[in-house]
Amino acid sequence: MNCEACHLKELEVESFEIREVLRCILHTIVFHRALGLIRPKDIDLELFDITYVQCGEIEVEKKIDDKIEQFITWIDKHPNKKSQICLSFYEVKTKQPSWFTNKIERLYWEQWFINLNVLQPTKSPTGKSQHSKLVMDPGEESEERSSRRTLLEQSLQEVLFQIIKFVNEKKDHVPPINDGVIYCPFEITFPSSSDSTFGMDMIKRMLHSGGHPSMLS
Amino acid sequence: MDFPENLPSLSSDMGRLEQIVSHFFPKALHIVLDSRIPSLQSRALRSRSSSNVKKSDKWFNLIMGDRPAALEKLHSWHRNILDSMIIDIILIHPTDDDHRSSSSETVIERWVVQYENPLIMSPQTTSDPTTRYQKVYKKAIILLRSLHAQTRLLPAYRASRQLTSSSLAPSGYEMVYKVSSFSDVFSPPVTETMKEFRFSPVEVPPGRLCASVTYRSDLSDFNLGAHITLPPRIIADYVGSPATDPMRFFPSPGQSFEATSFQGRAGGRPPLMTTTSATDRPHSWTSGFHRPPTPNQSFSPDFLHWSRTDGGYGGDSHHHYHQLSPPFSPSGSPRGSNSSPRIINVRPGTAPVTIPSSATFNRYVSSNFSEPSRNPLPPFSPKSTRRSPSSQDSLSGIALYKSSRSGESPSGLMNHYPGHNKLTKDSKYDSGRFSGLLSSSGSPRFGFSRSPSRLSSQDDLDDPDCSCPFDFDDVDDSGLQYSQSLDRRKTSSSISQSLPIGRKSQDAAVGVLVQMLKTAPPLRQDSSTYMASMSGVQREGSSVSGTESEFSMARSTSDALEELRNYKQLKDLLLSKSKNVGGATRVH
Repeated sequence: MNCEACHLKELEVESFEIREVLRCILHTIVFHRALGLIRPKDIDLELFDITYVQCGEIEVEKKIDDKIEQFITWIDKHPNKKSQICLSFYEVKTKQPSWFTNKIERLYWEQWFINLNVLQPTKSPTGKSQHSKLVMDPGEESEERSSRRTLLEQSLQEVLFQIIKFVNEKKDHVPPINDGVIYCPFEITFPSSSDSTFGMDMIKRMLHSGGHPSMLS
Repeated sequence: MDFPENLPSLSSDMGRLEQIVSHFFPKALHIVLDSRIPSLQSRALRSRSSSNVKKSDKWFNLIMGDRPAALEKLHSWHRNILDSMIIDIILIHPTDDDHRSSSSETVIERWVVQYENPLIMSPQTTSDPTTRYQKVYKKAIILLRSLHAQTRLLPAYRASRQLTSSSLAPSGYEMVYKVSSFSDVFSPPVTETMKEFRFSPVEVPPGRLCASVTYRSDLSDFNLGAHITLPPRIIADYVGSPATDPMRFFPSPGQSFEATSFQGRAGGRPPLMTTTSATDRPHSWTSGFHRPPTPNQSFSPDFLHWSRTDGGYGGDSHHHYHQLSPPFSPSGSPRGSNSSPRIINVRPGTAPVTIPSSATFNRYVSSNFSEPSRNPLPPFSPKSTRRSPSSQDSLSGIALYKSSRSGESPSGLMNHYPGHNKLTKDSKYDSGRFSGLLSSSGSPRFGFSRSPSRLSSQDDLDDPDCSCPFDFDDVDDSGLQYSQSLDRRKTSSSISQSLPIGRKSQDAAVGVLVQMLKTAPPLRQDSSTYMASMSGVQREGSSVSGTESEFSMARSTSDALEELRNYKQLKDLLLSKSKNVGGATRVH
């Protein structure tokens, strides 16, 4: 079974928009991969005129929220402009324990790459872009922001369309649904896109998995 | 594979495949119409537990709720699976033709679901026939998932929501549907604004299931959104005007509070926190600060209206007090199931919203105002932590208060005391006091203590006869009435009393409140149970005694209970003395 990958369109977001945008995208993807019995939940975004669907599972919601918080913390520490979040679905396979590999192996069958371009706040020492922009030159800034916001909303809708299209086009690689399993196990990682930390991530992965090329959870 | 229905002895793989196809149509119909036509929405019938889900609803692992009867009829019409199902979503809108206003219909969406059966039998696939239906079922599930998500993305969804909101629905607009089969199809005027999206077909031998949608991407021509409030924007330093937010509470940034517990309101009152839509659904709350400002404006008048029904504190306070509860907790039904995980079970029939206002009221009355008829309130007492918790006030009110960045709940709370709308000066201070109150009291059941507090002991000592927002004129009646009023006051004042003082973590404050509310006795109970709860309460001291004759506001619940006990003792003493001496003496 090959691993399908989908690279979503890059979105330019401000730091306060990350949470909503990521929630929307991640939940939409997981909704399409939660093939057990679910009760869908509609969620309206506050910042945008978009409604997305959650699968309604509390564990999923918690997991996604935790990861988003980690990501935001990470973004604050590494103010890189571009970052990528990887949502991977895997199957758990048990393997013969050997001296090098772990007993439990994850077989990834799908990966989604969410590309975000986190806009750094301009002319702001405090780091709160909206605050600074309200203070300085409000007319221009708000105009620019609203146009950027509209653009982001359209881009976000396009990303959601992209997800639906990908989900539709590729169905064969989805593993069969097991009884009692509501959603396919997944993990969310965010490797850095800058070279300086990429090497560190690789080393970390190797140390954790003992050479096995699996992602960090 | 969890096939929802019992297949008695359908050994044939083809039978199962046919079942998949035949159930696909009604499911797709349900998904589409549920998201477009409000009258067919089965949201009200959905329950949280999945134990009572009908088997028919479990098809494709997507619980939609009970299917409305109209949909059942529609589906029964569609008998032949080879017939395609065409669902037209039509918008009826007024037009002005020749200076006459008339209505015209425009098809804004067309969904087509069909089972294509090729004339030539497709060759048998190499897949194992026994598991073939499982794979087909899985793909059909994915297809319906994407169809479900797509219904939310298309413009007609927003349009339908706008029309659903009763307060925002423009007159003359209506969204209707029409289901037809291939034979009745008429081609809608395909304009440049119509786009098409084809879902990938699912191979269901011997044919395949196909779905597609043609939709108008631009609905701005219909002026549906003309009445809609502005799109949400971030106002970092939103303060609000004193008229609408007389009591402002600013939670700390980044504090996110579940506001979903207040969606289950009763009486049709608007929730304290919501987006522009009045529909009952959870929202992805981020932090308390990021709220569109307009809902504040749109809802605070309702709060004013709501709170005005309670009026002042005349003889009707009994009734008005109970009227406070609906916006914050549904009357008569436990909210545990509806509340967010962070909200503890609230008891119906309480009015916690009064609490913060009284707290702030206390603060200001004691310092700024000198009501001729009322005395300043005693401040909030940390000693209230010693008091045992009492009735379960609705934590939703408190939580709502905390999470309402725009201060809608405070406005409602504050307006409850129309005579004290002036207490709007230092909202930020209010919030500080409020959060401090939450955090400082352990079990502030009877937080309205009249003993010195950490922060404002002077007020306490100066004015034992404190006026409180809950000053009812009839409180000096018999003990029973007094107990009732005390009961109300103590539940509300306890939290108010325990609100301010210092700034600790919001979570600790909430935890304290929760504890307090959990252990609070119910609001409406007879005097016997009230006495039982009273007996469990520790009292602050004997300072209460001096105010027996004055049932002014700003009492701690402990004081109130103390007074009640005093009265009862007095009554007993009087009775006993009347037998012996015939004179009345005051108890201590």
